[in-house]
This record gives sequence, structure tokens and C-alpha cells, in this order.
Amino acid sequence: MIENSFNRRGFLKVLGWGGATVALSGCGNTSVEDGKEFVTSYVQTADYIIPSIGTYFNSTCAQCDAGCGIMGRVREGRVLKLEGNPKSSINNGKMCGLGQAGVQAHYNPDRIREPLLRNGDKGEAITWEKALGLINEKVGGVKAENIAFLTGGVSGHVKALLKNYLDALGSGHHYVYEAVAPSIMRAANKKAYGIEMPRLRLDKAKVIVSFGADFLGAWISPVHFSQQYARFRKADNGERGVLVQVESKMTLTGANADRWLAIRPGTEGILALGLINALAAAGLSVPGDVAAVVKEYTTDRVSKDTGVSTEHIGRLAALLKERSPSLVIAGSAAEGYAHGSQNATAIALLNQVLGNVGKTVEAPSSVPFPQMAPATGNRLALQSLNDNVAQDKVKVLFTYGVNPVFTAPASMKLKENLKKVPFKVVFAHYMDETALEADLVLPLNSALEDWATAMPEYVAEGAQLNIQQPLMEKLYPGTLGMGDILLALLKQRRPDEYKGYEDFYSYLRSAMVSNKGALGGLATDDDTFWDATLSHGVVKLAGTPVNMSGSPSAKGLVVPGPFAEDSAYPFHLIPAVSASLRDGRNANEPWLQESPDPLTTIVWDSWVEMHPKTAAKLGIVEGDIVEVASRSGAIKAQAYVFTGIHPDVISVPLGNGHEALGRYAKGIGVNAFKILDSVFDKETGELAMHETRVKVSKAGQRVVIVKDEGPAGGNQMGRKIAVRMSSNKVNLSGEV
Amino acid sequence: MSMLSRRQSNCLLGELLTMYCFLRFSILLVGLIVSAGSYAVSAAQPLTTADDLGPKVEQPIEFPHDRHAGDAAKGGMQINCMYCHTYARRSIVAGIPPLQKCIGCHQNIESVRETPRIKKLFEYWEAKKAVPWKKVHDLPDFVRFNHERHIQRFVFAQNKPVQEACGYCHGDVKTMTVARRQKPLSMGWCVSCHQKDHPVDATSTKTTHGPNDCWQCHK
Amino acid sequence: MSITNLLENWSDFRQQHPSDERPHREYKWAMSIDLDSCTGCNACSVACYAENNLPVVGKEKFAHGHSHHWIRIERYWDNDGREFADQGAQFLPMLCQHCESAPCETVCPVGATNHTADGLNSQVYNRCVGSRYCNANCPYKARYFNWYDYPTTDNVWPEPMNQQLNPDVTVRGKGVMEKCTFCVQRLTVAKSNARSAGRSVLDGEVQTACQQVCPTGAISFGNLVDPLAKVGKQWMTQQVELNKDKQAKDAEEKAVKLRGYRILEELRTYPSVMYLEQLRESAI
Repeated sequence: MIENSFNRRGFLKVLGWGGATVALSGCGNTSVEDGKEFVTSYVQTADYIIPSIGTYFNSTCAQCDAGCGIMGRVREGRVLKLEGNPKSSINNGKMCGLGQAGVQAHYNPDRIREPLLRNGDKGEAITWEKALGLINEKVGGVKAENIAFLTGGVSGHVKALLKNYLDALGSGHHYVYEAVAPSIMRAANKKAYGIEMPRLRLDKAKVIVSFGADFLGAWISPVHFSQQYARFRKADNGERGVLVQVESKMTLTGANADRWLAIRPGTEGILALGLINALAAAGLSVPGDVAAVVKEYTTDRVSKDTGVSTEHIGRLAALLKERSPSLVIAGSAAEGYAHGSQNATAIALLNQVLGNVGKTVEAPSSVPFPQMAPATGNRLALQSLNDNVAQDKVKVLFTYGVNPVFTAPASMKLKENLKKVPFKVVFAHYMDETALEADLVLPLNSALEDWATAMPEYVAEGAQLNIQQPLMEKLYPGTLGMGDILLALLKQRRPDEYKGYEDFYSYLRSAMVSNKGALGGLATDDDTFWDATLSHGVVKLAGTPVNMSGSPSAKGLVVPGPFAEDSAYPFHLIPAVSASLRDGRNANEPWLQESPDPLTTIVWDSWVEMHPKTAAKLGIVEGDIVEVASRSGAIKAQAYVFTGIHPDVISVPLGNGHEALGRYAKGIGVNAFKILDSVFDKETGELAMHETRVKVSKAGQRVVIVKDEGPAGGNQMGRKIAVRMSSNKVNLSGEV
Repeated sequence: MSMLSRRQSNCLLGELLTMYCFLRFSILLVGLIVSAGSYAVSAAQPLTTADDLGPKVEQPIEFPHDRHAGDAAKGGMQINCMYCHTYARRSIVAGIPPLQKCIGCHQNIESVRETPRIKKLFEYWEAKKAVPWKKVHDLPDFVRFNHERHIQRFVFAQNKPVQEACGYCHGDVKTMTVARRQKPLSMGWCVSCHQKDHPVDATSTKTTHGPNDCWQCHK
Repeated sequence: MSITNLLENWSDFRQQHPSDERPHREYKWAMSIDLDSCTGCNACSVACYAENNLPVVGKEKFAHGHSHHWIRIERYWDNDGREFADQGAQFLPMLCQHCESAPCETVCPVGATNHTADGLNSQVYNRCVGSRYCNANCPYKARYFNWYDYPTTDNVWPEPMNQQLNPDVTVRGKGVMEKCTFCVQRLTVAKSNARSAGRSVLDGEVQTACQQVCPTGAISFGNLVDPLAKVGKQWMTQQVELNKDKQAKDAEEKAVKLRGYRILEELRTYPSVMYLEQLRESAI
């Protein structure tokens, strides 16, 4: 008994005993209380546990889909801090603010603690046994085609179990929805390169031209791209990469650009074609059909259409011609517009013409276990589900990992339509807007107390399976992990197949161990393999490179001219995706609310960004409460005036404006998702995020904006605090 | 104005105000030093040897330190302090041993197996419940006392007997049953020892005093 | 000591910390921050909240300037009246500069803020009486005052959020000043471990929380006394000297310029944080 070897789970249980009553020595107690305070010792402990010394366990961040490896610092049974796992090739030991706030998702006081069944307006606490029994009864009472599962991006063993459960029910309706996802870009990449998500080598590029891709802030895998960016800026040979950001509203990436080009919204494709034309004129070899298509995009015309000066177009073309390889990325240029696919195709064409494919646009690896490969979310999925719900085709709806009632535009009428679904089950951490509509709410374990695996969509090298493991004992006995719930549901349907697994942990271990050959553990015994896997937190997989196909072709490429003016709704609304709040699911983590927005430095609120020219025209000054009205609705928020935005554009950040969720999110700011018009990308059918036209008017009051910058709005008043110089004046290769 | 200067608005006069503050407080400081000095004179006492008996602490099990660590002549087992308080040499806390440590020996000691205290011990063990010990030596939360550094210095570098080294702060625990605080554990008492020169190791004649940076002990 | 003498020889009176004649012996903790790598992402600031038990004060108190971000990202624009901020923003992580001749130290009426032998500007909470003179005298505005008793304030650390608190760092009560400590709790552990092993702390052995998390590696931290330390090499390459208030960079116009500078160096605070200037390409 004493020499009991500790497996990971036994260890946690031990910690539970010790951790439950351990005094919080960091809690402001300044009195000395000999003989009053308890000092609790362990009953049993592992040799590596030394009181007061943190132990680190590797796991995977679940705050966004990038799949960074994390390392939880655990002391006396509590997880204190999340740090980056150096063994993960995605983030190499680094983290973003959003990821670190994962501890606040875990310790959040507003988490749901037990299953709740609707009883009129209230949720009534019920047992898990009853809850799962109820699900069994409901899914048994309807036709398989009337059962639907709505989830966010899923991968790994949870995805495999989910698929098996849907198969067991006979339903194929799995809608994978992400409100903020590069879906149109994926489709355009597929067309241009034959793959949805190529690897971008920012570090190899000498020039990066990003059409609204906020790769340092909120785009795909920002911590990974930030590290590449650091090498791009300071290459070993001292050559400094040049970043040009083309967008209508400045993102964090735009704020770091050598040149930020404010472009008229929607005309990014025109600029891309204009650049090809200018490059061809400068002697770059361009295929004949492409040259024929782009030749009408003269610099003068492009400048007139886009609002980017001929001087900048010329310099940019010269820079791209001179410094190779370069990298061109499509971000909001693709996701924003009804012609987003065309924009993205034009931008991909620019990459191909520049010869970047194979150099800075690389092929990813295939995933050896397709059943665990990521199911990536898009906006179309919610549209399809909504249509089916409206037509009474959904009788039982499961929702996991998304909050569609919050993120769906009001014009979709999702909330109203959901009333038609007789039985709605929501798996959630908080009582969010969607959970409030549910008939049954099932509380999930936090990511720091749950078992799972994940395969990120964007991996830096090869393929990778991330392990998510509990960093401490569950806070509440009434929560359950998604894997455990799915396993319990599968036991109802396929008892023979699953009864051997006591819980999701034993399923996961057995699934991993039985495939250890493919997971790099061929030569080791089961226990050693499993221990090593958990210890590393990531399993590197030998993926085979996918072939990239496609040659530069302008076949069928038509990029529409600039938008016609709309006198009733003169401005374009850009709902801005912030690095910390994203689609709003993390809004109840107070560190994120109190982290100033990098550009405006505003905290704890929403705001309406506009250019000084626009503000002057409308008679608006900073702090005016303004109404932003689209054809689909209106919101009111404080105006913030600055020069990082095109005068034709109004921008409101996403993520706030919750009517539920929790104490740190409810009632903070406004929800810009609500007023988006239903305009869709013509090729993919995806909601076009920047197509909403709005009008802006003063709503009377004026407030003092709560922000971190001073009243001068970031002017240094001649003092040398943050200093900048021209890069040709320094020799970076001589630096340490 | 910039962010920086907004925060600075109280102090727009910059250096001039600094000067004012300096002048004003240099006077104030002098006053403080004088009064502190006079206090020191009147309150002078040999702090290191001061005994300041703490409250009697009732423990769930009356652990007899004398039986375990006491001299053989007095019926003790002469067990090294660090056999049980094993974390003291590698952590800032000495730690209460895990229950498994007690059981490790006691499951083989049949002679006392049926005594009330040992029966109670096994009850905790069988229920897998931690023993709710009470803290005997408590420090305020803004103080960081590092056991490891003191043990490394006095036991391992200077070769002092363990019980002597532990006893500097914990008193003569080997004569106690339930431990009781014997030293004041006040800052003045800590500093009185930190000001003394101690040999750096067992053989050297070189001495150093303890660190006197505030942040060495305050956190 | 006449007032004239004091005014004329001000720097002599203030230069009371280790100097060329009396250098740091074992450790001199220092930092360098590359503003060309810093993207302004705020990860460092959140890391500091997590490591150092900083309270989240909420909107109203934030509006009153009561926020506690020991490291904050300052954002400046360099527009010169142009229509757009077309060269982006200038981000600057601002934290306690651990000045060698710290203006805060000289004004503390109770000696709660001092210089340590390692060159840190220490703040001792239990000694602080909350006069806030140090705050008024800090040109970097890097000190933060506890106007409220945050441990007992609603929704700052509600159960079970308080379980996240780092036991190695005091949770400050009402009425005390606080600021960046260069993660002294980590330094203490590293020094203790090194001493047990009979050596000095090696470069890279200890990281501050902000440095550890920075996705672009913009922050370097280490021991200036250690000739192998990266931070020392950076200071050396940039020819920034700790005990000078005018650096080589200021002296002459060279073809190839140096990027290293310290903020408000002319105030003779002798900061321990060196910044490297942000760069912008002139070809575009």
C-alpha cells in the first residue's frame, strides 16, 4: 500500500483530499494565528509532490481552436497558472492573454454545477441519471432524421465518439458552426491550391501583404504566427521582413505594419489584380490568360477604385518584385463580402504569380486518423440548421461548444425558430443565451478538469494529437466531461460495444494504447507509452505531405467594381474580432474584460469606431452615444474617433453585449452580431461579415470613455517615450 | 497629453516637486531615526535567546515529539527531525509528513498498536482522511521564511547537528510532547540573528551575516 | 547643505546606489524590451495578473484610474496630422523601471520602498502606510495604490476564483502601494536553488512571467553582472550603460544607429529597463 505506484488518476484523488481543506495562504491574512489555522497534510503522496513547490502538468488550451500546448502550474491540489508547453510545436512555450484566462473559465463563479431541467421559466436541478434517461427517451421517441447536433469545431476522440453516437441514432445531422471562422478563405484555398489550410511560412517571407488577416491577434493560430512574425522581423541574417496590411479597419496586425493601407471596403480583390498587372508591367512573368484579365486593372483605375494611392501601389509592386519570396494572405477581404470568394481567389492568384507557392505557402500533412481530424466550423452550418428548424424538421437538438442565440444575426430569427424544437439539450459551462432557451442544460467539466484529445486544424509541422488532461480534481461533483456524456449516451444505444469502458478515461487510454504503434510508442509497453504521452501533452504524428495542386489561372475570375453608394445607409459596418473576446464565449473572464483593447485601450464596454472625417461630418465627438442602425436592427454605444479606419467604415467590436453568461459579461456593451444583414458569399453561401450597411446618428448623451490612454489619445507631446526609426538606419545582424 | 503624462498630472512640476518632497522628508526621516534610536536603547535585550512561549495548541492526536526525537537515555528514539519533516531541506516549508509516513513505521510496531493515539491514527488511515493538524508556528502571509536555505546553510554547509539547527527557531522540540512555539518569531528576533556573522561552512574561517534586503523575507 | 548646493549637485545626492565605484557584486537584474518585436497583444499584462494576484477592479474603478496593471501596454500614434495612422501604432510595455536612482525611494516617509542588493526597487507592503508620495514622484506612473480592500470586494475574487491566487505572492490589502517586482518570488527561488547547488543563477534559469509568455520573445530578462547573460550582451551591443544618463547613442550621428534607449533617461533615474526602438521600412 505504501509503495503504491501512482498513476495519474490516483494522484489526483490524493490531491483532492489534501487540496480540499488546504489553507489559502495567499488570501490577505496578515494575522498570526498559532493553533487556529489548520495545516493539512497528505494522506498519501507521490515523491515528486513537495509542498510549496509547483508541479507542472501538460495539457491543451481550449480557449480557442488553435490548440496550443499548455502547462498548468499545480500547487497543493490547485491549478494556479497556465503557461505554455515548450514541447508543443504550435506555441513553443508561449501563450496569449486569452489562453491564460483559461484558469478564470475553470474557477469561474458562474459555472453551472448540476443538470437543469426546464420547469416553466426555471431550471430544476436533476440527477445525471435522470437527465441521460430523459435524453434516451426523447431520441427514442422521434425519427432519426429529426435529431440534430450543433457543435463548434471538434476533433479527436470526442469527435469520434460523437460520430458514433450519431451513427447509433441513425442521424447524420451534425452541424459544425463557428461564428468567426476563415470559411471563405478555406474554400478559395481549396480551389487555388487544392487544400483548405496550407502552412504559411511567415518566417521565410521577406514581404508579407495581408489583406485583413489579423494573424497577430485573432486569426487561426495567433501565438504560432506571432513567433514566426518575430523571426520574420529579425531573421538570422539581419534582414528585416516588411509587413504591409491592407484593410478598412485597423487590426492588431495592421497596427504593427510598416505600411497600413486604408482600402475602400470590398475592393481588396481589385488591388490584388492591380498589383499583378503592375508586376507584369515591371517584368514579372505572368501567364497569358492572367495577364489578359488583369491588364484592365491599371494603377490609375485601381487607385481610383480602392482609394490606395498610385504611389503606394507602385512601391508595393516594386517591393514584391524586388524581395522574394513574399507571402500574400487573405483575411477579412475574403470573409467580409458577397464577392469574398472572388477577392480570395484574386489574392491567391497574386501568391501564385509571385511564385510563393511551395516557398511560403507550404503543403500541410495528412492526418493519419481521419475520424479524429478536425471538423472545422463555418457560418453556413447555422444557416442550414436554422432553415431545418424553421421547417419543423428538428425535434431534438443538441448544442455543444457554441452559443448560436448570441452569435446569430437577428435577421435569422434563430431564437424564435428554436421555440419550434420540442426538446433542446445544451451542453454548457455557463447559463449563456442558448442555455436559457434549452429544455435540458447539462453542465460540463472545465477544460482544466476534463479528459480529451484534440487535433488542431493548423499545425506547424507534421501532424499532432494534443492531450487534454485534468490538472486538478473537479470543483463540482455535478459536472461531467463531454466524453463521459457521449460514452454514457452510447452505452444506452450500443451497450455491448461500450460497456467495457468504465468511463471516458478508460476509453481514451484503451483507444490510445491500442494504437500506440501509430502514435510513436511501438517499442514501449503500454504503461510507459501512456505515461510518456501524458507527460508530453502532445503526440507528434508522422503525417504524409498532401499534394498541392493548381496553377495560376484567372479562369472565371470576375472581381466586381467598388460598392455603389447607399444614401440611406452610407457606411459599411465592420464587426471587429478582438484577440481576447473573439465570438464572445469567453466574455465572462474578467482578465479579458479588463485587458485594454490594443488599439483603442477601451475596457469593459463596446464602442463605435469611426474616422475623424466621418465624425466631423456627423458632428460626433469621442464619447457621444451614437446609434448604429442597419436594415436589420440598431445598437447604441459610445463613439471612439481615430485614424485607423477608412472614412466609409464604422466598426463595432464583437464579443460583448451579453444578456446572460455571467456577472462579468451580462449587460456589458452591445452585440454587433445582432444587426448583421443576411448577405451571403455568392460561391460558398457563407454569411458575409462586412456587408452590412449602416447609418449613424447621435443619440443624445455623451459619456467619458473608460480607457487606458490619456485624453491626448496617444500623442507623446514631443517626449521620447516610444521611439521609432527607419529600418535602413540600423544593422540588425549585429544585434544579440 | 500622453498616457504617461496623464498619470503624472499630480506631479507636473516634475523635479521641483521631487525636490520639495526630498527636503520635507529628509527632515521627517531624521525625526524617525532619532525616535527609532531612542527606542532601541530603551528596548535593548538579547533577542536571539528570548523565549516567548506560544499558546498551547490542541492537536487531534497528541503527537509525542519526545518519544520520537528525544534522547535514548530518556526513552526517546532519537529520530532525525528530517526523517519526518522531509521537505525542510528542499522546500520553503518543513511540512507535516503524509499519513503514509506514520503508517509506514507503525504498521510494523505491534507493541503500541492498540494504544489510543495509534488506534486513532489508523482510523484516519483507514478512512483515507487527512489528520486536521493545527499550525503551531505561523507567520504572517507577507513573510516568506525559507526552511531549505537555513537547513542547507546550518546543517549541510556548517555541519551543525540537526536538532540544534532546527532548535534555533523551534526550541527544544525533543523534550516536548505536542509542539509549542518557544521563540517570538518576530522580525526583530529574525534580524538579530541575521546581523550576526556566521561561518560560511564547517571548515572556513570566512563569515557572512544573513541577508538584510526587505524582499529576502517579505513577499 | 545650502539649497543652491543641493540644486546644483542634485545628481550627486541622488546617486546613492551601486555605481562604477561600487558595482553590484552578484546580481543586477535588468530587462530589455524590443519594441520592434512587441505587437501590443497584452499577453504580458494578463500573465502578470495571473502571477502576481492583481485585482480586476471593474469599469467604474478603472475609470477612476484605479486599475492594477503592473505591466501595461501604452499605445501611441505618430500621425503628424496625416489622414491615416498608416505606419501603425507604437506599443510600449510600461512597467516599474527598477531605477538605480529611484525617485520613489527618496520620498517614502517610512522607508517602505528600498533598493535591494540585486538592484531591485522593492516595495514592502507591511511597512507601507499609503502616503502615495512614491506614486506622485514616479515619472513612469508604474505604481498602483490599493484604494479598496480587494480581497473582500465583491466580484474581485469570488469563490472559487480565489483558489487561483498565487501563494508565493501576498494579496495586498487596502491602503498599500504596489508595483512590478520583476517577479521577485521567482528570483528568490532561483537564487536559493542556485545557492544550494553552489553556483550563481544561470542565464535563462529564471524568467519573469511577462517574459515567459511573450509570443514574440520581445522581453529579455537577466543578470547584468553575468557576462554570459543575453540581456547584458544586448545592453553592451546597444552601448547602454547602467550608470550613465547620456549614452553613446545620444552622442554622435553615425551611419548605423543604435536602437537601445531608456525612457526619460534625462531625469537621471538610471532605469534597469532598456527599450529597443521600433523600426519602420522606408521603402514602402
